[in-house]
Amino acid sequence: MVEFQTIQQRGFHNTYDKDGNIDGFEFRFVPKYYKGYWFTQCRFGNVTVDGEVFDRDDIIFEYDGMEYSRQEMFDLNKYWQFREPLIYRIKKPGGLSIGYHDVSLQFGWVLNYNGDLEKEPDGSGMGNMAHMFGVDNQRRMLLCR
Amino acid sequence: MATKKGTPRRGICLYSYHNLLGKTMTLEDAFLEMYDTGATCFEFLTSYIPGYPNPSPEWVDKYWGLCEKYNLQPSEMGHWAENHLHRGPAMTDDEVVEELKQDFRLAHLLGFKALRTKITCTNMMCDPEPGWQSYIEKALPYAEKYDVRMQNEVHLPTTLHTPHIRDEYLDFIHRTGTKHFGFNIDFGTFQNKMAKGMEFLPMSDFKDVSKPEEIVEFLPYSYVCHGKFTGVNENFEEETIPYKEIIDLMIENGWSGDILSEFEGPIRFLAEDGPDKFGQAMVEIPEQVRRHQIMLRNILGY
Repeated sequence: MVEFQTIQQRGFHNTYDKDGNIDGFEFRFVPKYYKGYWFTQCRFGNVTVDGEVFDRDDIIFEYDGMEYSRQEMFDLNKYWQFREPLIYRIKKPGGLSIGYHDVSLQFGWVLNYNGDLEKEPDGSGMGNMAHMFGVDNQRRMLLCR
Repeated sequence: MATKKGTPRRGICLYSYHNLLGKTMTLEDAFLEMYDTGATCFEFLTSYIPGYPNPSPEWVDKYWGLCEKYNLQPSEMGHWAENHLHRGPAMTDDEVVEELKQDFRLAHLLGFKALRTKITCTNMMCDPEPGWQSYIEKALPYAEKYDVRMQNEVHLPTTLHTPHIRDEYLDFIHRTGTKHFGFNIDFGTFQNKMAKGMEFLPMSDFKDVSKPEEIVEFLPYSYVCHGKFTGVNENFEEETIPYKEIIDLMIENGWSGDILSEFEGPIRFLAEDGPDKFGQAMVEIPEQVRRHQIMLRNILGY
């Protein structure tokens, strides 16, 4: 079971390096769409926390115990199971402060539904379904550690 | 006119519960909900099969156990004939056929005889991307082998008189003579006015919609239909879709396929907006499906 929001508070915490120093933070994301995706269909955008932008190409994604970059996702022959969280891991020395944070991200996808097929073969866009479902996700979350 | 009246089954699309699935509703909860309604069959989407496209034998056993425990029959599996899974050129016909075979085998394993096969569309009217006939025709022998019928969904704003329905899909059926390709006629294609609360998502102006009598010609090629609805009132009426008129035509013409409740009311798009909306969804979605099933029972008489 996951929370009803797309950005999950459960799993939101700072991360530590091998010496025990805080080196970033992570949280989990579950799309609200009614179906799962092949990862090759997914289009990942930047993450913003309290106005600080983290580039999509600096995010480490973890799924099913394996880490991937956004670029690797384009060739990943794996199905993102419905309601299975994807971990977003972001490097930030010192991490986030204990307290509330406004977390937002963009996520889109390509699907063979009701719209022009993706016009940007380099994958720079956010997919062809944004016109129906948008790409913006945000949540105010409380970090405790 | 058929001499024998049809006896459609009534069933439920799990899609109706998707906002709740995996959040406040387990798969078994969904089966219990469906059992409560008196429905006898159901639609799965491939996404609702954990481990898709290769569910574990343990899960398959669990699935059949749920079917037996709640006396529900598999009806239709919704899947996608995706041919743009990668950036750059479209997949080859053979690649698409392999993808379709995988889903056919899975449907066969899980007891689904009908498929809602989503062919790539290029606009809001769901005009198919040119060339679809090639991979679908190559897949027909496998559909026959695994005893499944692909169905193109006729979905609002597409009507039964939208040119591609006759010029492409019906033409394909007649040319190939296949029994393994047809239509899932979504009742939304008959919706004749804006539903309350849906103004924010203008899918159609409802000036050109399918007329009930148009369904008759397509019934021989239709095995499962989506009983789309956006809201059933407390008197068990869907005020925007002439359900009784359509179902009476189906029965009079001897149609004995499945009509599956598919709820797509405004809350489906709003449930994740906040705790109040999600709370509303938790109450409204199961209640709407129950109302729709009572409406179908009132029309069918069983």
